[in-house]
Order: sequence, then structure tokens, then C-alpha cells
Amino acid sequence: MPNDAPAEEYLELAGGRVHLFRGGEGEPLLFLHAAGGAGEWHDFHRLLASAGFDVIAPDHPGFAKSDDFPDVEAIDDLVYHYLDVIEALGLDRPHVVGASFGGWIAAELAVAAPAQIGSLVLLSAAGLRLPEHPVPDIFLMTPGELVATLFHNPPPAPAEPAAPDIDAILAAYRDASALARFCWSPYLCDPKLERRLYRVKAPTLVVAPSDDRLIPVAHALRYASAISGARFAEVADCGHAMYFERPAEFADLTAAFLAEHSVGLPNGVSR
Amino acid sequence: MKFSFFHLMPYPYLPDDYDEKYNSSSLTFPNKHFDPKLGIQLYKRYLDELEYADKLGFDGIAVNEHHQSAYGLMPSPNIMAAALARRTERARIMVLGNAIGIRGNPLRVAEEIAMLDLISDGRVDSGFVRGIGWEYFGHSISPTRSRARFNEAHDLIIKAWTSEEMFQWVSPNYEYRYVNLWPRPVQQPHPPVYIPGAGSTETMKFCAERRYTYMSVYAPTRVVRMWFDGYRKAAAELGYVPDPERIALSIPVYVADTDAQAHAEARPAVEWLFHKGLKIPGELASPPGYMSAGSLRGVIAAGMRAFSQLSYEELLTQGYAVVGSPDTVARRLREMYDDLGGFGQLIALFAIGTSTHEQIMRSAELFATEVMPVVRPLGVAETTPAAP
Repeated sequence: MPNDAPAEEYLELAGGRVHLFRGGEGEPLLFLHAAGGAGEWHDFHRLLASAGFDVIAPDHPGFAKSDDFPDVEAIDDLVYHYLDVIEALGLDRPHVVGASFGGWIAAELAVAAPAQIGSLVLLSAAGLRLPEHPVPDIFLMTPGELVATLFHNPPPAPAEPAAPDIDAILAAYRDASALARFCWSPYLCDPKLERRLYRVKAPTLVVAPSDDRLIPVAHALRYASAISGARFAEVADCGHAMYFERPAEFADLTAAFLAEHSVGLPNGVSR
Repeated sequence: MKFSFFHLMPYPYLPDDYDEKYNSSSLTFPNKHFDPKLGIQLYKRYLDELEYADKLGFDGIAVNEHHQSAYGLMPSPNIMAAALARRTERARIMVLGNAIGIRGNPLRVAEEIAMLDLISDGRVDSGFVRGIGWEYFGHSISPTRSRARFNEAHDLIIKAWTSEEMFQWVSPNYEYRYVNLWPRPVQQPHPPVYIPGAGSTETMKFCAERRYTYMSVYAPTRVVRMWFDGYRKAAAELGYVPDPERIALSIPVYVADTDAQAHAEARPAVEWLFHKGLKIPGELASPPGYMSAGSLRGVIAAGMRAFSQLSYEELLTQGYAVVGSPDTVARRLREMYDDLGGFGQLIALFAIGTSTHEQIMRSAELFATEVMPVVRPLGVAETTPAAP
């Protein structure tokens, strides 16, 4: 299998099927996607895979090709869901990398099951409630406002299609509905998370884009100060879209950190 | 045909730069634009109009619930209904309705409607609505729970009204260890229930199963026809033909002495209602999870344009509003009656947007004296055309 062509697999769990991409060889790296970015294998994933990791990128419940999992209602359920995923895949202390919404899930996983996480990378993670550094309401943004918020250099808007693509609209509404299920209120946070972060034992890297208009950099700094021994890094000239805008920089930082914190499995291979 | 006089209680005094500067009259439209002194006058005036409708012989006077909006100044419809209950004698007092999807404590709704039922001597009708999308932002309720909250709250309220034994209520969104309603309502088994529908087949079935009144929201006649047919079909599948009175057309109506006068007066008011009051971007109207996939597909496929894109003429020809002399309005309502396959209740919005008090009083008076007698015989069981 060439490095840049991931496998697509479905994982059967009690509550439904999880769709995932998997590519590369090496220590397992569970990647938890942002609110946008489900159902896609990006340059970022490809670069991590070719850096020597077994990159596993599932779609969250209710996103893209994963089933709805209606019983997964909130962040605590998502933690159990991903513990189920780790167990079903037979992963031993995987590296967990999460971006934005997925970063929040990653942090909660590392709090709930500190012994089951190899190392942790939080890419501008959501999840903290910092009223003095509010996160704008993504549910109230027009598509244009969302792009302007997410990117340091927003790409030009695509041409308006002549007729609405109903299937594409429904797919986007389904992803957004899953997100709303998990984070409408409290909005994109778990008020109890910050005081639980002392439980994180995994070596942790916190990365923030320099121009994050969605989750203020103060959130990443708070994660870095609340997690014992965490390292902090910033990617210049980049917005919250992170690996959409600067995939190489994010992949390099992540791969270098994880290489320093090998979980030390035989031959670095887990399966 | 039964006729009700419906009020939205709009705040018509929008700033001159409203169209350019604000994308909606709701949720984020700054409340600095609300002048409490004008608010005092508006409430007095609007309640006077509803009371006048009672004197004119309307079968019902109707209020509803909206939050954080210049479109409607009734965050609590039950307060308005209470004010009307003591000042009117005859008309049904229609609360259309309480937005039980966003209420933190739906038992409170059961209590308040029961109180209203007694204060009004059994004149209250109880509508239940989910609340519009923007209200789920405004009250921090997840729209993904809207349908479940609505259904659970409805079941709780009906049981609270009808049970003579204390009970415990446990459902995914609500838990009450003691439900023991004091007072109980006087209407038996409970006040009549009205539910607005906007194309959801779940809602049609829900209403048909319980023989509730199914009422339309503002939409073109061709679309309302599909909704009413859906309700009739749901009833047919349950083995009955619904009483036409269980089908209610909700629509703005404006009557003046002549067509020319009616259009001259109604045009700015109708344009205010649909272009300013009902300026609701998609993000506010249908937040994620508020609609089922099937309903969303139906809405997109129906190809309805935004209210703001419809001219006054289009609004009239498509059936979003009825305007004219008494003769014209009566003729148009008969046409719509046929086009819709019949209906037995007309929930008419006379207080449209920027209409003045005098205009509204005259419009309602002309309607009551010259239109009602003509349209009254329609929509009772014998005259209703057979459902297709």
C-alpha cells in the first residue's frame, strides 16, 4: 500500500459503525478531527503517515460516514465512545492528536484514562470555558463569515452552484447537527475540564495558530499551563483552520514531538 | 367557518438604517431600539384591539410567544391571555402557542393554562409550538433536542391536566417526582390543543392521532395545500375524516372600503411584516438539528423563496396575505377555501406590521360585518369538498 493512499474501514461497535481512514506504518496515532474535516484524508494525515505513524482517523458519531450513535449525547459519552474505539482496534497507548473540537475530546480522554494514552497533541483545542476569552458562535455564522473566521488568509469563495446540491446540504447539516448535539450548551466546553487537567499523565504538546479568530490563543496557553510538563508551540501566519491552511507546519511539529515520545513498542509497530 | 383575530404585537418603530445594518429583527437586533415608553402605548393599543375583536363577534382572539424580537412582543403569551380573560366575555382566548420546546419547566405551562381556563370560564385554547430556531439560541436550548423536548413536554402537560392522581414523571429531558396539578382545568378532558405545522409529516400524524387542530404557518397556498392534504391523509390512515374545524388557515388579512384604499394602506404594512419583521437568515431559522433530514429535504425541494425576496404582488397572488374590499376578500377566501381543499378555521392577522390602530379597527370591523357572514357557511362538515 503506498503511503498516500489510506485504507477506508468500518469498525463495528455496539452502537453502530465507525468509518475511519488508516494509513502509514509505525506507532498508532489516533487523530480526532475538528468540527470541519470529517470524512477527508488531508495532506496533514498523509504527511504524518509518511513520517512513520499508523494514522487512524475516524469520523465522530453523526459525522460523515459514521453512524449517528444517538446514545452518544455529550462529551462524556464521546470519551467512552473513543475508549471503545481504542479497545476495538486493539491499540496500546496510542498517540492521540486532536484538533479543535477533536482536541477537546482528546483532552477529556487523557483526563479520563491517563494510562491509556501514549502522548497527547492538542491543536487549538476547544473544551475550556474562559468567559474572558469567548469563542464566537459558529452556529450563527454564515458560510462566508465562517471562512473569514477560520482562515488567516481566507481562500476565495467558490462559485455559487446553479442549483442547490441537496445531498451536500443535508450532509453538512448532519455534521453540524452532530456538533450541536455535543456542544450547543455549554457552548464548546466542559466547565469541569480545566480543574481535571492535572490528571493528564501523557507527554503533551499544545499548538496554537498565531491568528486564531475562533478559539483565542489564551485557551491553548491555559491548556499548556494546566497540564503538567506540557510544551507549547505556535504556528505563524495561520488561522484556526490549522492543517487546512498550513498542513506541513502542523504535521512537522506533531511528528517531531511524537518521535521524541515513542511509546517504545517492539520495532515501533503495534499491529 | 370560525374566525379568530390573531395578534403578533410587533414593535414597528425600526431605525431608518434597519435594512442595511441588521440581518434580522430577532436575537441580535439590539434592544436599545426598544423604547419602553412606546412599549406602554403599544401594549395598551394591542390589547384594546384584541378586546374590540371580542365585541365584534370574532370567535377567538389569539396571541403567541416570541423571544428577543421586534417581530413580536409576547415572550409570555399567558400574561397576555390573562389580561384578556378578565376584559372579554365571549371569544375563545387562543394561546397559539406556548413554545414548550424551549421552556425549562413545562409543568409551569400546564399550571398557567389551567389557571387561564378557570379565569376565562373555560374559554382557553392551548397551542403548543416548538419555538423558532433563533429562540434556541436565545434560550440556550439545543435544537437537537427540540423534537424530543416538545413531545415529552406535551405528554407531561396532557397527563398533568387529565390525571386525578398524583404521579411521577420521568423522561429523557424532564424529571418530576410529584405532579399533582392545582388547579385542574375546567374544560374536559382538557383545553383544546392547536399545533402549527410546516410540512413535517411527524406533526401531521401527531395531530391526526389526537384530533388536534392543525394550523398552517405563513406559506404559499400551493404549499399549504400539501400540508392540509398531509393532515387529511394522516387522518384517513387512522380511519376517519377530520372535522374541517380541525384545519386552520393562518394568514394576514386587510380589509378597507375599496380595493384601492386597501392596497394603499396594506402595502407598507405587508412589506414590513415579510421584509423586515420576518427577515430571518437561515442560520437563525434552522439551526443544526432543529429539522429532521426528511423535513429539510422537503423544504429545499419545495423551493420556497425567502420572504424578503417576494414582492407585495407576489405575496398576494401566492396566497401569503389577503387584501381588498369586503367583496374582494370574501371572494378570495372562497377561492383559497377551494384551492386548499377546505378548512374550518381562519386565524387572521389583522394587526399587520406598521398598520395604525384606526386602520386595524376599521379592517376588523368591515371583516366582521361584511366578510364573516358570507364566508361563515363554509368549512362545516357538509360543505367541505372531498379530500383527493
